[in-house]
Amino acid sequence: MALIEVKGLTKNFGGLMANDHIDLTVNEGEIVGLIGPNGAGKTTLFNCIAGFYPPSGGSVRFKEEEISGLPANDICLRGIARTFQIVRVFKDMTVLDNVMIGAFNRTNLTATATKKALEVLEFCGLASKKNFLAGGLTVANKKRLEFAKALATSPSLLMLDEAMAGLNQTETVEAIELVRKVQQSGITVILVEHVMEVVMPISNRVVVLNYGQKIAEDVPEKIIQHEEVIKAYLGDKYHASRRTH
Amino acid sequence: MGEKKNRWIWLAIGALLLLIYPFFLTLPFPRHLMIMIFLYASMGLAWNMIGGYAGQISLGHAVYFGAGAYTSTLMLMKLGVTPWIGMIVGGFISVGLAFIIGYPSFKLAGHYFAIATIAIGEIAQQWMLNWDWAGAAVGLTLPILPESFLNMEFHTSKVPYYYIAFGIFSLTILATYWVDRSKLGYYFKAIKGDLEGARSLGINVARYKFYALALSAFFTSICGSFYAQYVLFIDPDSVFPLMLSIIVCLVATLGGVGTVWGPVIGAFILIPISEFTRIQFGGGGKGTDLIIYGFLIMVISIYQPFGVIGLSKRFKKKESE
Repeated sequence: MALIEVKGLTKNFGGLMANDHIDLTVNEGEIVGLIGPNGAGKTTLFNCIAGFYPPSGGSVRFKEEEISGLPANDICLRGIARTFQIVRVFKDMTVLDNVMIGAFNRTNLTATATKKALEVLEFCGLASKKNFLAGGLTVANKKRLEFAKALATSPSLLMLDEAMAGLNQTETVEAIELVRKVQQSGITVILVEHVMEVVMPISNRVVVLNYGQKIAEDVPEKIIQHEEVIKAYLGDKYHASRRTH
Repeated sequence: MGEKKNRWIWLAIGALLLLIYPFFLTLPFPRHLMIMIFLYASMGLAWNMIGGYAGQISLGHAVYFGAGAYTSTLMLMKLGVTPWIGMIVGGFISVGLAFIIGYPSFKLAGHYFAIATIAIGEIAQQWMLNWDWAGAAVGLTLPILPESFLNMEFHTSKVPYYYIAFGIFSLTILATYWVDRSKLGYYFKAIKGDLEGARSLGINVARYKFYALALSAFFTSICGSFYAQYVLFIDPDSVFPLMLSIIVCLVATLGGVGTVWGPVIGAFILIPISEFTRIQFGGGGKGTDLIIYGFLIMVISIYQPFGVIGLSKRFKKKESE
């Protein structure tokens, strides 16, 4: 069943078409990867869906309801949580407090929020850091915290904007594991990512944007052989290396 | 948990000392000093809700102080209503003002919000200076009524005022404690920390900013009503001045914003300075306290940006991996 249906979504900044009639359907329980070269319009699409930009045209339907143009906090309440490419942790607060702010999305009680936040921290492997100030965390843990905050809002759709950029090999593997665990817990995921090793193995489907337009949508195995995608984004080098394997 | 128990013991000792204070210090001045400390601590705490927790620097809090003072006084003079009711009505009028002021000005960020609140404070003062029905520039002298709790007027001793001020102070502390521990406090801090981040977690930023300002305005207004009953004379220059707004902000900032005890510490440091210099230099030394304040603020902002209370938090664990 379609959880979110984007139809003809358009966003222009003056003369620049950042998103040009994008169609995207994500079914419940899926992980969908969103890739494309720099400036392809991935983050803009994210911001339009999550209510940070009002779309210039088109529709976004979430759980059968039109949500395009609603403010971000409303959309979060309806069950779409997002993370930011540049983490937006509350740096002067502790890790636990950060996650509690997310958890307050579904409760007014501090005790309930604390309990939920501790569960999420445990789930994300941050439990041992709960009393540290968020500003003092390493990049990898800040990314993890950003993830935990979004998860604490109890979303049905989680949108991750480059949640793994800047992580090293081991940290990336751990982060991928986390995304898998989230999917297993019944949350649908849309993933914007530059790192191919991340998108390809965990995505059920991959959508490719270039110059604001959708140029391909398929299972990962097909995407890496898609001629237009290779030309636009992956480059000949990646193409060649796949052949030698 | 031992630490928590200790904290309650200290709190109980502090409260007890403040309760018996007027029995040991029987001269008017020490009692007056403590009343002023309570008053400014309460206002600092109230300011702290919007300025400290929610991070929206308001330099127009005299508006709410003045609204409280004028509402209870006018209700007493024109309608003969007890100042206790006037105090509560004043509080709600200030919440209304907070909505009118907050609605347009919350769209402004950072310094622009502060500037807008200064402008609104000045407008309010000019308005009152020219409003004949409310006494205009001459001000209002409160009628001398028989001493009673109901009339909130006491002519022979400052002790009843002392306990009322202590009550207001305790109430503001409790309210701050409640905010600090509840969803409100977390959301206020999130708004201060990162606006976009707050939005992404489902926080209706405009609504929670208004909640912070409304709480702040309510308690500031109560302080205004109390002040009118204590001094028994109000005019636009004494209850609407920009300097009042600034001192309230300084009290909170010096002690430490966004904490329960910061503004209390600030008031205990700043108000004695102001009262003692007033005695020492009289009218000729007006502003001496401000010179000292200015110096303290510079020292604090350079060496201890989280205020005096930050000294104790300095050693808080930070992750270093």
